[in-house]
Amino acid sequence: MRMKTLLGTAALTLLMSASGALAQSAIRIGHLADYSGGTSDVGTPYGQAVADTFAWINKNGGINGTKVDIETVDYGYQVPRAVAQYKKWTGSNKVAAIMGWGTADTEALTGFVAQDKIPFFSASYAAQLTDPTGAGGKAKAAPYNFFYGPSYSDALRAELTWAAEDWKAKGKSGKPKFVHMGANHPYPNAPKEAGEQLAKELGFDVLPPLVFALSPGDYSAQCLSLKSAGANYAYLGNTAASNISVMKACKTAGVDVQFLSNVWGMDENAAKAAGDAADGVVFPLRTPVAWGASAPGMKIVGEISKISDQSGAAYRPVHYIAGVCSALFMKEALEWAAKNGGVTGENVQKAFYHKANWVPAGMEGVCNPSTWTEKDHRGTMAVDLYRSKVSGATDGDLNDVMKKGTIKLEKVKTVELPRKSEWLGW
Amino acid sequence: MNTQLLIQLLVNGLVVGTLYGVVAMSFVLIYKATQVVNFAQGELLLVGAWVCWALMVKYQLPFYLSMPITMAFMFVFGILIQLVFLRPMIGEPIISVIMVTIALSTVLQAAMKWIFGVNPQPFPQIFTSQSVGFLGLQIQTVYVMSLVVSMAMIAAMAWFFQSSKHGLAMRATAFNQQVAQSLGISVKSVFAMSWAISATVSAVAGVVVAVVNGVSSGLSIYGIKVFPAVILGGLDSIGGAVLGGIIIGLLENFAQFIDGEFLHWGNLYEVAPFYVLIIILMIKPYGLFGTRDIERV
Amino acid sequence: MTTSQIPAGDFRTSYAADTTIFPTVTSRNAAILGVLLCACAPFVFNDYWLSLLISIGIYGIAALGLNILLGFTGQISIGHAAFFLFGAFTSAYLSTKLPIPAFFAIPLAGVVTALVGLVFGLPAARLKGLYLAIATLAAQYILLDFFARAEWFSGGSVPASAAPFSIFGYTLQGDHQYFYVVLAYVVISYVLVTNLMRTRDGRALIAVRDHYLSAEMMGINLTKYRTLSFGLAAFFAGIGGALYAHYQLVVSYEGFGIERSILFLAMVIIGGTGSIMGTLMGTAFVVLLPEAMEWLSAALRGGIIDQALGIKNNITFLREIAIGVIIIIFLVFEPDGLAHRWKQIKAYWKLYPFSH
Repeated sequence: MRMKTLLGTAALTLLMSASGALAQSAIRIGHLADYSGGTSDVGTPYGQAVADTFAWINKNGGINGTKVDIETVDYGYQVPRAVAQYKKWTGSNKVAAIMGWGTADTEALTGFVAQDKIPFFSASYAAQLTDPTGAGGKAKAAPYNFFYGPSYSDALRAELTWAAEDWKAKGKSGKPKFVHMGANHPYPNAPKEAGEQLAKELGFDVLPPLVFALSPGDYSAQCLSLKSAGANYAYLGNTAASNISVMKACKTAGVDVQFLSNVWGMDENAAKAAGDAADGVVFPLRTPVAWGASAPGMKIVGEISKISDQSGAAYRPVHYIAGVCSALFMKEALEWAAKNGGVTGENVQKAFYHKANWVPAGMEGVCNPSTWTEKDHRGTMAVDLYRSKVSGATDGDLNDVMKKGTIKLEKVKTVELPRKSEWLGW
Repeated sequence: MNTQLLIQLLVNGLVVGTLYGVVAMSFVLIYKATQVVNFAQGELLLVGAWVCWALMVKYQLPFYLSMPITMAFMFVFGILIQLVFLRPMIGEPIISVIMVTIALSTVLQAAMKWIFGVNPQPFPQIFTSQSVGFLGLQIQTVYVMSLVVSMAMIAAMAWFFQSSKHGLAMRATAFNQQVAQSLGISVKSVFAMSWAISATVSAVAGVVVAVVNGVSSGLSIYGIKVFPAVILGGLDSIGGAVLGGIIIGLLENFAQFIDGEFLHWGNLYEVAPFYVLIIILMIKPYGLFGTRDIERV
Repeated sequence: MTTSQIPAGDFRTSYAADTTIFPTVTSRNAAILGVLLCACAPFVFNDYWLSLLISIGIYGIAALGLNILLGFTGQISIGHAAFFLFGAFTSAYLSTKLPIPAFFAIPLAGVVTALVGLVFGLPAARLKGLYLAIATLAAQYILLDFFARAEWFSGGSVPASAAPFSIFGYTLQGDHQYFYVVLAYVVISYVLVTNLMRTRDGRALIAVRDHYLSAEMMGINLTKYRTLSFGLAAFFAGIGGALYAHYQLVVSYEGFGIERSILFLAMVIIGGTGSIMGTLMGTAFVVLLPEAMEWLSAALRGGIIDQALGIKNNITFLREIAIGVIIIIFLVFEPDGLAHRWKQIKAYWKLYPFSH
């Protein structure tokens, strides 16, 4: 006990002397990333994008001339480390905002950020985080949580809207059957209620949900059940690693079903790993375009990408572009706060409310126009649905596979959901 | 009742259960000789999968070459791990050795991500037809391979432990380390051997699951998933491990059948085997084939 | 731990002397001083260090429970995190859905979790050793499945919220105040368990640990004590979880899988199985090691070594590898855990300059 205290004091003095050397003028923000933990496959491109964007911002004049002092910490998707890091950032030299990552850190810190009034801009899209007042009645107020893109629930609502049209367009008769698939775990279950309710309203026959774990495994049994139940549309709520197992097992079992995936459940890398089993899966993007598409804003994305890839040849997965948009929204919020009373947590929170249909400067066509208000943190209701097209063997480097066009992301539709108040928070 | 579906699920359970059995067998091999619960078993499987993947994709070797190379590599790798990390622990409390395997899994997990990246990768196609039909069920060809290979391995293990000199040495060591030592058996080499064989067996299982699921760090979950199979079979019985694996595979699929057709509770697949397991163990406290500890004071 | 540690000349002449908590006055004073020093921590440390101390306290209590199971019945548990989470959810539920203040909710959560632990300990009537570990693994899966189902209890996909800790209408908020709550619970728990080991039941547990067959022959009911240790382990896990809930104010299901259970196991083994103070040391080790590695990698980042080797982002993998390797090296040199090393250090100074 005494030993620990002594060690603590020694380390503390070291720490204080180190932090004292830092320039006071820079704007401090924290960045939690997962490069090594359970979600590192998608955490790496997203985290890299946030880090690159802020490096690019610093290279181009910073926030109104002030540099951003961003500390990127890989917390390995472990809650205790995220909490300790958060406390480090909110101690004596408080950060103005935090760029967070996934469910683990976001949920563990919701209580703290509300107490300490620090905006937490993450990539956890659970709908309960969109309710800043708790008026929706489904969850506790989360006034300091923000994210860019549709919530898990809204993304599923959009997919179902598309599915209902698709069913009609294909000229099929009868009621289409919808099934929710995922682990019995809060993350896949987050949009379950929303999805099943809308599916009923849209005239789907909602089948009992099928459960499969969050890790790779043999899910032939689930696929056979899917086949025997005759489902037409199945939502995959898990992350890529286990979704791949399901898609492959279902292909083997010869299941004829249209998969709708969660935003983290499908991307270029997942399509590559699943090969032809991933052909035709519909999934939401948070941006209207993917890498390689032409849009006015892609110029800046290209510049940002060069920060960590001088050659400019690397292919960036969809999560990278979403990360760039998230970081640029934060940048402009910091700018507004700096001009309107200084960069503090509360001002940064207000900054997110300063503009409707907000697109970061120069990002037209890449970042969807977003509106945050004191009562509604659903930034955007536009959901860009894409379909993965896999034609041929996908082994080899991702760059080559994408260049050859073996994997293609094909735009399906942009669904503009109505901003219904009864959909807030779930 | 949907008999067709039930039959398909049971066949699937049998096939997947055999795979569980193979992983369980590699687990038991180490436990039997060294009394160590190896929490890094899943990582050994992962290493095998990545190595075979690298040989096929990076070095463009055909499968019939890369598989034996992987097995040879894992044999050496098993010995190395034992030499570097576990040999210093011989004679120390078992619980500390178990902790070493936990730490080892952290090391291997991070090293694999470092070397091979964080993204899941597809495994090159090995067989011309990806699946074969049996009783109306399409089974991945690689599962059939695993079935054949595991049968061969079980036979090889049976011969090894029954008749070969090293196998007898391992059994003697498992029975009593001190007595074995006094008979001139090198316990150190027996331990190294058990890790080597276990790593090799894991590699085979690793390649099979990698072909089915693609290679990703999540595959290591198989190491923990087979724990119930090991206990059900009896911790120190190799045949029991395989049978335990098959029973767990059947249970999972049967639970999915009951759940999907009648109950609609969801998640019985994952949880139901545990209830059944505890009941079976209440009747047979040393698993189906475990040695009953007879202790004399 | 063993009698060989008692130096020659230390003759105990009464039962009271034999069962005393502190063998010497100095050791008692040192412990009191340690607690007092800790009580000063909020005045000295910043939030970061306090949050680490709070984590050590919370996990230390839960690990203490596991040490009863592991150290006194030799039972490996791979389900401790589920009990921890159960305690957290229970306390959150009691404090928000029912009019029970957090002050009472925490011990109540411990009791409820203990009852659940007793249920999972029932197979102990027939099973032992590693075969009984299946009961803990089952607890992990079955409890987590229960949380996902019981939306009224755990909030389902929305994290459950817990009321802040309040006492006599005064709410303790922030690390500086909550630290004292945790400190109080740590002191109470550790004193309780130390005392427990002096009672009839404690001695029975020790007898079971040392040799269960002999214990059984002496008339100790093995099943009863094995099940009891399950209940005790769950009780402290529940208390730890409840403290965690009122610290975080939200309880999320995320991150309480088998990995976390294994982490609890690591705390106990590194600290020393069967050693009460060792548990706290082991917890500190497991909590601080990743942080220390993070300081190291932060210092290395962008430095000369980083540039020379081109490590960049891969430094995080090096950090993970280092954590594993340090634990292995530690165990190679100190397989009996930190508590044992601490005793050796004490013995060295006691015998100085005549120690060999």
